[in-house]
Amino acid sequence: MLKLKDITVCYGKIPAVRNVSLEVGEGELVTLIGANGAGKTTTLRAISGLLPLAAGEITFRHKPIGNTPARDVLALGLAHCPEGRRVFPQLSVRENLEMGAYLRHDREGIARDMERIFDRFPRLQERLHQAAGTLSGGEQQMLAIARALMSRPKMVLLDEPSLGLAPNLVERTFEIISDIRKEGTTVLMVEQNALAALEMCDRSYLLETGQVVERGTGREMLGNPHIQKAYLGG
Amino acid sequence: MPEFLQHLANAVILGGTYALLGIGLTLIFGIMRVVNFTHGELYTFGAYMAFMLAGMFGLNFFASLALAATLGMALGALIEFALLRPLKGADIDTTMLVMIGAGIAMQAGEQLMWGGVAKSVPNPFPTEPVVLGPVSVGPIRLFVLAVAVVLLVVFYLLLNRTKLGIAMRATFQDPDTAALMGVNNGLMYTLTFAIGSGLAAVAGALLGPIFVVTPTMGDLVALKAFAIVILGGLGNIPGATIGGFVLALAEEFGAGYLSSGYRDAMGFLLIIAVLLVRPQGLFAAKERIG
Ligand SMILES: Nc1ncnc2c1ncn2[C@@H]1O[C@H](COP(=O)(O)OP(=O)(O)O)[C@@H](O)[C@H]1O
Ligand SMILES: [Mg+2]
Repeated sequence: MLKLKDITVCYGKIPAVRNVSLEVGEGELVTLIGANGAGKTTTLRAISGLLPLAAGEITFRHKPIGNTPARDVLALGLAHCPEGRRVFPQLSVRENLEMGAYLRHDREGIARDMERIFDRFPRLQERLHQAAGTLSGGEQQMLAIARALMSRPKMVLLDEPSLGLAPNLVERTFEIISDIRKEGTTVLMVEQNALAALEMCDRSYLLETGQVVERGTGREMLGNPHIQKAYLGG
Repeated sequence: MPEFLQHLANAVILGGTYALLGIGLTLIFGIMRVVNFTHGELYTFGAYMAFMLAGMFGLNFFASLALAATLGMALGALIEFALLRPLKGADIDTTMLVMIGAGIAMQAGEQLMWGGVAKSVPNPFPTEPVVLGPVSVGPIRLFVLAVAVVLLVVFYLLLNRTKLGIAMRATFQDPDTAALMGVNNGLMYTLTFAIGSGLAAVAGALLGPIFVVTPTMGDLVALKAFAIVILGGLGNIPGATIGGFVLALAEEFGAGYLSSGYRDAMGFLLIIAVLLVRPQGLFAAKERIG
């Protein structure tokens, strides 16, 4: 479904991601793990069109999307839930969700999807008219995920959804992500919590200093001595 | 007492136009963060367009007003597109110098085009004042207030109730994330600048029949608009609206009861006083809606 072929992404002249290739099949949950600064966020931002490619190719459902405006990437069905939640702090919860559906024009479908989101996240309905900036961290993360789903994406990029959440909320967040995938949305998730990321995924890639250094199924990666030593505290 | 009421009525009428100028500049300066030195020139432009259309071509006054506003928006869109868009990412000093240059060029253009002699826009209303108890007001002034109030309401609805308005606010809060939602940020910047400019132009056109039109009429107005924006709290639209009325009240009562020669100074004295006590403006940043 999504294919990155030897992509390089630079800030100024300095490459942050070098020759990265990865692939996500339809219906898969793939994770991208690695330490802080490894280039995970940069990779996602290049996929969704926020950063230009210095080299390489990205295709989504067989269409080239490298160096394509974010708006057009989203229109193809690829949503991006950014690192740090990034809800619009001064917009209400409802307005944030409406922004998620910005490219859609089917009022009824949008209303129905919003109802479904309230079934899943009742807290959001309770706080519908509150400014998003006044929500707790966990609520903001739910809102950010819900907002990404409002575009009805075929695939969603999630950048560290568990960042800064209390342990019970982390678990809940991962459950929700598993549900999203079960409902048929393909997921590429960046996660620093390697153990959780490897346990829940189909396949995973490990980034170190901007390059893919390991790849495999979750089980293979969990058994990989390098990963055990450096990322699983084993 | 009657004198007091008369001043109050004058202040409310003037305040409506100040509010239009203030929210126009709040959009551009407070929210887009462009230190806009063309705002006063757009006000002047609106007044000259009203003069040209209604005074020279004999077009209906109301149609002239609508057209002047539209032309102001178009000119604003052009300024954003031609000057600000290529400067995306440039530092604030560069942008500020370019905008100062644009303001000077526009004023020189007006001077060249219309000469230094004051023009006046024909007043379509009877000059006989409307007498409401102790207060008497020229019909044109009532019309100006009505248009200002309608525009303020339309503007609030646009910003808070429409998809476009919500997208504009989202863009200025977080452009990258807005792009991830599918918003065309470039278009939002152009539109916002155009709307802010249109509000300035319509204020100029509205006041054309009340004051005279000269190439430098925008200078003081621009200063006042900046004062209103700062008074209301940077980027705070309700704040700028109230700021417009507060400035008008200060000017009107200052001129009426203290000294009419210091009318224009009153507003600035008020601003100094407010900023000494509340450096963030009358309204705190957390109340801002932009
Ligand atoms: N806006 C930026 N400008 C310059 N360098 C950046 C920027 N963002 C990230 N980097 C650098 O790129 C590298 C990868 O960062 P990032 O993709 O955010 O890593 P991760 O998400 O894996 O923590 C880091 O060395 C970081 O310092
Ligand atoms: Mg990151």
